Amino acid sequence: MAESEIPVAAGPNLGIPTAIAAAVIAWLIPGGGHLYLKRWQRGVAFFVLIAVSVFLGLKLEGHLYRPVPGEPLATLGTIGQAGVGTVYGVLRFVTHYEGDLRGPGFEYGTAFLLTAGLMNLLLVFDAWDIAVGKKD
Amino acid sequence: MMISHFLLMVVFALIVSVFFSLLWRRERGAQLRLFFQLFLGMVLGGLALAWLMYPFPQGPPAPIP
Repeated sequence: MAESEIPVAAGPNLGIPTAIAAAVIAWLIPGGGHLYLKRWQRGVAFFVLIAVSVFLGLKLEGHLYRPVPGEPLATLGTIGQAGVGTVYGVLRFVTHYEGDLRGPGFEYGTAFLLTAGLMNLLLVFDAWDIAVGKKD
Repeated sequence: MMISHFLLMVVFALIVSVFFSLLWRRERGAQLRLFFQLFLGMVLGGLALAWLMYPFPQGPPAPIP
């Protein structure tokens, strides 16, 4: 990839406390970190994308991972899906959602839920980079 | 519920492509270029992979626990 294609344009360094706040908000609310940093359009777009992904994952009755002793892949899946922040907490601890293994869309739904979490984890890092001035 | 594997693949590719084009690019033209590269790469790559796997035997259906 040509170096000129990589977005290296940096913004102002807003300081570590702001970066921490942006990262935490980004984790708790998909797109929230970008909204906090006044990247309105991107924040809303990311929120919609992750919301659609979670909605499809739930509609398809995908699996919500939780740690299982002796199963490292379940732990990895949990970390990935927990990346979606508040949504994961609500699904797991409030609604006690698990998914339905017999559902025809189980595997697809699991992929959508995992993807939503992983995308939001990337947004956490992106919000951090914007706040410390590495990206615009 | 009827599930179209192809449609789900297209929707998945759409979501991921839009996400990364917004995350990695800032200019509209560059975003569109990356979107089409990712989207077509995933959809056409998936179809190519499916075509390559077509001769393989399917095997018995997985048991439902």
